[in-house]
Amino acid sequence: MFKDITLGQFYPADSVIHRLDPRVKLLGTVVYIASLFIGKTFFTFIPISVFLVMVIILSKVPVSFILRGIKPIIPLLIISAAFNLILTPGDSVIVRFWIITINWEGVFMAIFIILRLLYLVAGTSLLTLTTTPTRLTDGMEKGLRFLTPLKVPVHEIAMMMSIALRFIPILTEEADKIKKAQLARGADFESGNLMKRVRAMIPLLVPLFVSAFRRAGDLAMAMEARCYNGAEGRTKMKPLFYAGRDFIAYGVIFGYLAVVIVMRVFGL
Amino acid sequence: MSIIDVKNITYDYHKKDDQGNETESVRALDDVSLEVKEGEFIAVLGHNGSGKSTFAKHLNALLVPTGGTVYICGMDTSDTSNTLEVRKTAGMVFQNPDNQMVASVVDEEVGFGPENMGVPTDEILKRVDDALNSVGMYAYKDSSPTRLSGGQKQRIAIAGILAMKPKCIVADEPTAMLDPKGRADVLKVLHMLNKEQNVTIILITHNMEEVIDADRIFVMEGGKVVMNGSPREIFSHVKELQRLRLDVPEVTKLAFELKQKGLPLRDGILTREEFVNELRLLAKGRV
Repeated sequence: MFKDITLGQFYPADSVIHRLDPRVKLLGTVVYIASLFIGKTFFTFIPISVFLVMVIILSKVPVSFILRGIKPIIPLLIISAAFNLILTPGDSVIVRFWIITINWEGVFMAIFIILRLLYLVAGTSLLTLTTTPTRLTDGMEKGLRFLTPLKVPVHEIAMMMSIALRFIPILTEEADKIKKAQLARGADFESGNLMKRVRAMIPLLVPLFVSAFRRAGDLAMAMEARCYNGAEGRTKMKPLFYAGRDFIAYGVIFGYLAVVIVMRVFGL
Repeated sequence: MSIIDVKNITYDYHKKDDQGNETESVRALDDVSLEVKEGEFIAVLGHNGSGKSTFAKHLNALLVPTGGTVYICGMDTSDTSNTLEVRKTAGMVFQNPDNQMVASVVDEEVGFGPENMGVPTDEILKRVDDALNSVGMYAYKDSSPTRLSGGQKQRIAIAGILAMKPKCIVADEPTAMLDPKGRADVLKVLHMLNKEQNVTIILITHNMEEVIDADRIFVMEGGKVVMNGSPREIFSHVKELQRLRLDVPEVTKLAFELKQKGLPLRDGILTREEFVNELRLLAKGRV
């Protein structure tokens, strides 16, 4: 049950996108998400598609991998499409029954929303597919450093993220162990209705939390013993440096953003 | 100057109730004094609750004594301006290998200490390689710690301390959670560091088999140091050790019991070879 948890799944390959500086990829992702929300017509999907397809081809990540990320959001797609279909106001009525009215504007909105969400998931999953968790947290720490004067604890957040990633496999293993121990004592996780099954998780979660807190205490002490003192005076073992390709990528990203904005301004 | 100089320290744990009032105070260390010279291999023995772990945490300024003073290379640990310097001098390895690892890749884990100390990047990379070579884990440089065995993880933890170039390593029951193979590997690494790189080692343990190669042994009980001396001196007092609920090595015990039955063996036999030699001599004498 716990083996299915995959967070920030990484697809190892040797590609330009993999080698890009994580800061570039983070900014690219943010621009890409923004572009999806800037566009108001179907025409904007032309530059967006070109951009996405280009990145996918360059990244050498198989399309099946990206499609796999879409599967879990299908219920969300259906729900949001249904709401848009029914609730969008408009005059060009197609059918009307009981209290439900379906019009062409609703159909348009529903398709638009589905496309938007599909592109959103496909694009953002590329970030984690092509960047290792360590590089990602490093990129966040360095890329968001400009927030430090605003009292945003950037280093601490990055450290918390990397420790969380480090402990995911340990805690999954532990959860499995506790589950087996409770099964051996006659615990039942499989049968009964939803409420019953949720309640059956308590004897599993309580020991898991207790042990997680104990681990946290131990880790804090071990970090302190190794002179950890926050970001101040800290050096990096693998510092990030921009290469030529990173500047080209920045150029592409901003060019793409400009195209999308211009299209919006001209109402396309 | 001795590298560790502990002068009459006491330490009280305070238990508090919900309102923050003190309900109980437990004396975990009671007038402990000891001195360690650079390059020594010291073992601190004691069963659970003897205060040995509390003592270990004092050597790294994780705890500061309630009374008395701990000097590490002449620095008083209770002075907070010394804390970082103390931790650079005396590194600490803990019991649970999983709970002391910060990074998801072995080389970054080893580099964590030097990063914190502000060592320049090139120097960190060199130190990490050296440290991993010292503990024989260089081949695993790019792997994830989760895939390693307990003994390997503990060797990585030792490398993580080594990369900080400490004069002294305090190992708080580093083998308690390991299988016999991992245990042997970790001890081998500690002894090698002691002999070849002149690192002072303080090994905290309750396992008697691990201490026979130490230079000196301190036995703790109820927060006090009750015995100290060379392994041979300590293991001559089998009766006393049994009273302290500490197991003596099997050979020592056998020799002790044979002696009680009237065989004229000498005290404090530590290894099987020694025991066999002693028996041979005895047999020759009789013939």
